[in-house]
Amino acid sequence: MTTSPPSLYQPVPCDIVSVSDLTPDEKLFRVIRSDGAPLGHLPGQFLQISLPGWGEAPISVASSPTRGNSFELGVRRVGSLTSELHRRGAGKRIGIRGPFGRPFDLLFLGGQDLLLISGGCGLAPLRSLIQYCQDRAEEFGSVTILHGAKNPDHLLFKNEISSWESTARFACGLTVDDTAPGGCYDGNLGQVTSLIPPLQLDPLRTVAIIVGPPVMYRSVIHELERKGLHAGRIVVSLERQMQCGVGKCGHCSIEHLLCCKDGPVFLLSEIEHLRGAL
Amino acid sequence: MKRTLTVCPYCGTGCMLYLVSQGGRLVGVEPSSTHPVSRGSLCVKGWNAHAFVHHPDRLTSPLVREKGELRPATWDEAITVVVAGLKGVQDRHGSDALMFASSAKATNEENYLLMKLARRVFATNNIDHCARLCHSSTVTGLTDCFGSGAMTNSIACLDDTDLIFVIGSNTTEQHPLIGSRIMAAARRGARLIVADNRRIRLARHADLHLRHHNGSDVALLNSMMQVIISQGLTNLSFRERRTENYPLLAESVAEWTPERGAAVTGLTPGEIVDAARLFAGASSAMIIYAMGITQHSHGVDNVRCCANLALLTGNVGRNGAGVNPLRGQNNVQGGCDMGALPEYYSGYQSVGDPAIRQKFARYWGGSDLPATPGLPLTRAMDAALQGRIRGMFIMGENPLLSDPDQTHARLALEKLDFLVVQEIFLTETARLAHVVLPSACYAEKEGTFTSTERRVQLVRKVVEPPGEALADWQIISALARSAGCGGFSYDGPSEIMAEIAVLTPQYGGITYERLAPHGLQWPCSTPDDPGTPILHREQFTCGLGRFSPVTYRPPAELPDEEYPFVLTTGRTYCHWHTGTMTRRTHLLDREERAPFVEINPLDATRLGLREREPARVTSRRGSIIVAARISTIVPPGVLFIPFHFVEGAANLLTNNVLDPESSIPEFKICAVSVRREA
Amino acid sequence: MKALSDGQLLHFFKCLEKDWEVRLPVTLPDGTRTLGSLKDGPIALLGGSLPAKPTGAFFPQEEEIFRLSERELRLPLPPERPLFVAGFTSRDLASLLFIDRFFADDPKDDLYFRRRQSALVAAVTGWCGPGGSFIKMTSKGCDLELLRDERGWLLLSHSEAGRQATQELPEGDDPLRLERFVAASASQSNDDELLLSQAAELLRADLVPDSFWNEIGDRCILCTGCNLVCPTCTCFGIRDWRSASGVERIRMWDSCQLEGFMREAGGHNPLGSEALRSRRRIHHKLAADLMRWGEISCFLCGRCDATCPTGIGIVSVMKEMVARHGGPANQRSR
Ligand SMILES: Cc1cc2nc3c(=O)[nH]c(=O)nc-3n(C[C@H](O)[C@H](O)[C@H](O)COP(=O)(O)OP(=O)(O)OC[C@H]3O[C@@H](n4cnc5c(N)ncnc54)[C@H](O)[C@@H]3O)c2cc1C
Ligand code: SF4
Ligand code: SF4
Ligand code: SF4
Ligand code: FES
Repeated sequence: MTTSPPSLYQPVPCDIVSVSDLTPDEKLFRVIRSDGAPLGHLPGQFLQISLPGWGEAPISVASSPTRGNSFELGVRRVGSLTSELHRRGAGKRIGIRGPFGRPFDLLFLGGQDLLLISGGCGLAPLRSLIQYCQDRAEEFGSVTILHGAKNPDHLLFKNEISSWESTARFACGLTVDDTAPGGCYDGNLGQVTSLIPPLQLDPLRTVAIIVGPPVMYRSVIHELERKGLHAGRIVVSLERQMQCGVGKCGHCSIEHLLCCKDGPVFLLSEIEHLRGAL
Repeated sequence: MKRTLTVCPYCGTGCMLYLVSQGGRLVGVEPSSTHPVSRGSLCVKGWNAHAFVHHPDRLTSPLVREKGELRPATWDEAITVVVAGLKGVQDRHGSDALMFASSAKATNEENYLLMKLARRVFATNNIDHCARLCHSSTVTGLTDCFGSGAMTNSIACLDDTDLIFVIGSNTTEQHPLIGSRIMAAARRGARLIVADNRRIRLARHADLHLRHHNGSDVALLNSMMQVIISQGLTNLSFRERRTENYPLLAESVAEWTPERGAAVTGLTPGEIVDAARLFAGASSAMIIYAMGITQHSHGVDNVRCCANLALLTGNVGRNGAGVNPLRGQNNVQGGCDMGALPEYYSGYQSVGDPAIRQKFARYWGGSDLPATPGLPLTRAMDAALQGRIRGMFIMGENPLLSDPDQTHARLALEKLDFLVVQEIFLTETARLAHVVLPSACYAEKEGTFTSTERRVQLVRKVVEPPGEALADWQIISALARSAGCGGFSYDGPSEIMAEIAVLTPQYGGITYERLAPHGLQWPCSTPDDPGTPILHREQFTCGLGRFSPVTYRPPAELPDEEYPFVLTTGRTYCHWHTGTMTRRTHLLDREERAPFVEINPLDATRLGLREREPARVTSRRGSIIVAARISTIVPPGVLFIPFHFVEGAANLLTNNVLDPESSIPEFKICAVSVRREA
Repeated sequence: MKALSDGQLLHFFKCLEKDWEVRLPVTLPDGTRTLGSLKDGPIALLGGSLPAKPTGAFFPQEEEIFRLSERELRLPLPPERPLFVAGFTSRDLASLLFIDRFFADDPKDDLYFRRRQSALVAAVTGWCGPGGSFIKMTSKGCDLELLRDERGWLLLSHSEAGRQATQELPEGDDPLRLERFVAASASQSNDDELLLSQAAELLRADLVPDSFWNEIGDRCILCTGCNLVCPTCTCFGIRDWRSASGVERIRMWDSCQLEGFMREAGGHNPLGSEALRSRRRIHHKLAADLMRWGEISCFLCGRCDATCPTGIGIVSVMKEMVARHGGPANQRSR
């Protein structure tokens, strides 16, 4: 059993097992609780990564609970905490709080065809679900993964994509906004939305899950609706500035909802009418 | 939990607040509900006034440079090194090779003491402070017209006035609780004219918003006066009873028809006429100005124009009528009052006057005091570059970030034989020093600050300074004693104030006992003088108000093909100057974390600049990269950059041309180019 | 029911100091009233609600989360003595109950309850408002109630802890005296309550146009005062300081009127305009909390209106909102 700390705000010590580069700005950290206990998370949940002296930041768990007691985090370097984390290598200690937040509803997703659409860093939380689907393939229909990055260098999890593609009933589509001059990329060019129209999908059997930068949601939703998907079959995971992760600090509110507690995973139908949600 | 009444350490508005402390640490702030300015409110800086005080970056012990590095030292050692260093410069190059920079963040007592140290111990009038950079033009200009260089009225006068004319002041951001009072006045029905090129918040509440070109204030004000005179709207009886020199003014503005004014200001003639009629039609009018007026190579002229306009319409010396320079720093008024100025002792008593010199010499003991006015701060940098200034003592200022043309300032400071910086944090300037002396901040010492409305208020000690840090007045006293000079032993700041009161007519009636709870407004000359909320009531300090005609001079550097944009600089709401305190205050730091440039959408589109993208801004003096902030606050052709940030220092770009009379630098306008940085 | 004179009440507070950390309204040197201790100044129970929020006793402007040195992490200790906090009006108590519920909601906020848990809360009601005006009686949310009339104080216990703390005080003998309070409370009406429900309804029905919030936003100078004085504002920020001796992490009152409140590292800001932030301040109290907690979370304590330097506290805004957008014509057009 994992024991919870005496204070809601006290981080639990963890150790970095290994670190690898994903892109020039993103690293993948393999981490384990210092007491060896399992994290106890579900795909879609996040942790408050706590580096005393640098604060905290919400980071999605990028690995599936089906893959042992250690877990992975895909982190983009953008500010003070994430830069400090990038300076830390294997053997270093970090703190976590969580897992927090509402995970993907695996019961609801069970038996459905999944369409997973991500932009940039958004593939990290989806990876947890992708791995889960790989390990429990019998519970789901087909899995289609669409991912967009700003350029080929920034495509996440490049070396895993082939393993995903070779999984039965899995398909992947990648695209980039720009190619570097002189690069050897020969894949799709354009926004991730451009990958949707050619898809064959059954709107009554498909659930789409979108995770990406704020600008992405509306256009993707628009394309999905044109495919006949309604808001009850579109799932989004939203990003907000989070300070506490437990519904107290107020920074992540969306009208009456709190992204950290009621989300970050929402059905589109739950939030589309709320001011400022998307 | 303890609550201690003290004065906000940020702007010159002078709100009083309670610092909440527990176990020797500050844990919060509560506004004073009864103070005439705060009245239960504060701005965001005031609400966070406690938050930087215990920051781990605070300096806790003296630092002395050894083999190129600053290392901790004892007070004894540091004081000895400082005195030897300063004396050394004095012996080798004479007293006037020393420069003392005082601080508008320090108390009155400390400013007084530093000026005493400079004049009495080191025999130089080379003492100045950052008022040079903000309101030296006011001191010169208003003294010329009225005989006194301070705000003529009280902040409360805004409640009773008929019209407010705000020119060159972003009041809601820089003096928030004065700005909000102006907004309240506008809502109760007072008319509001805002003359500012940027569409500042007050402009959204104005009856008339004049977006005249930067640096064309003289043209605007002269034209307004031309309209007032030609349409017979002057206040005749006031003019006849209380002023002199009118004919010269009338002559000088005669040629400034609205058409001519329009051509220079970029306004329409109609706007100028409207402004003039509105202003002259008010039964009482308050002119409010700040750095948009003063920080120009013609800053003193701008100030004179404001004074002329008020004299012409009889708007001085009454409730709700006056000329009100808003002093920036919490104690910049006090810094001036205390004679941290090269030409004045405390109370604006001239160093050139032998009787005054004798008065101070007699009281202070010792021999003759120096008679020639010293160097202003802005000229001292040049003098340092030329090797005329060899030693500098800087108390609580960060000229490396706050002076114009940063490269120039750095070269000057690096060239010094000896630099002492007395600070609460290791600022950019302190990093260059030979000796750094750790001082107590406002919450850790006693003293007084004088707010923009001339209100002398008590600052109280709430917590102990960190480590070995000492109050500035203690350090200065120790230096003087170590230099072998008597007359610097004080039991505490109240004893220093007693000395100030003896020597300074405006402060003659001020004692600590009388200052509780909410201070006194100077002039307060006798023990039973209740203070003076409104100046120049019966007569001007100089007798008659003097019209002081002004000839228009364009700014020193105007846009051209190579540098097609006008750059104007200033502050943002959440940060204070070079950010040493506010960038260490979590909520304020979070609000503005990085340097930016405001640019009009039309210009941004033309340059292909998108929001938050890096933009390179270049002037003849330097080049910086800052994030684009696309905004209609600035008109096309104008850029605005705040000067708080080391990593995008606006003052690498600004033009170090000085007003010939006040030596204020032209911070508000220079020519730059801007492009997208790949 | 106990009956006390001013002097006896003072004596009671002094006795309490043995076991409790006593906080009560006092007058500071310049006349400002605050929640202080007996040694901070003369008691100031009269005058109505305090300018600062009394809930700050449990959720202070700054509070330590932990301290980390070398390898040891230290959580803040509970207060040495439990808190006794007097000075709540009935509206303040409603606010207290609201944030009690908020912080207790799973997962429970241990920092808050560290102070709140064993605290004794005393209301001050009766003829003790500004200028001797009447403040409604209340029994909900307090352990004790101090009722003021021209003869002095009545003291009612509303909890077991309250009864224990007051055991030794003299009994009151005049039942009629209490009845006057009950009658006065029953006859109290407040126009602002009606305003509150009208304004909430306008927001719920989305009848307030963005232009309204633009105007309010233009008038806000972002002082954050409205949030910092509000007894039901619970938002906080977290800050770390690291020094040679370790790290201290604290939380502090935060304000949704600040641009940085929701801005994310990538620059996206769901509350990216002054208008949105002004709306958030009002909408949160009147609509969002009603949806989430089943209760409007403004209890009309008047503090934000008192501190706002530009006159856009919640009551002023509601008045303007209802006057401009709450007309019957508007309602019908929906
Ligand atoms: C549910 C959720 C899951 C996330 N998952 C990932 C992930 O798997 N990988 C990844 O790289 N990034 C993820 N992010 C974004 C990540 O949290 C931010 O990039 C990070 O907080 C930036 O912190 P910083 O200290 O480096 O940046 P700074 O800009 O220095 O941060 C300053 C402060 O702002 C807060 N803050 C700023 N931006 C954000 C933001 N977008 N979200 C939350 N708080 C913010 C931080 O908490 C911090 O207190 C996620 C965000 C959320 C809400
Ligand atoms: S207005 Fe000025 S003095 Fe008042 S709280 Fe703000 S910074 Fe301080
Ligand atoms: S009146 Fe203002 S301060 Fe009081 S509860 Fe309502 S919103 Fe909060
Ligand atoms: S108190 Fe008024 S001015 Fe200050 S933040 Fe609130 S609404 Fe804005
Ligand atoms: S992150 Fe604090 S309430 Fe959601």
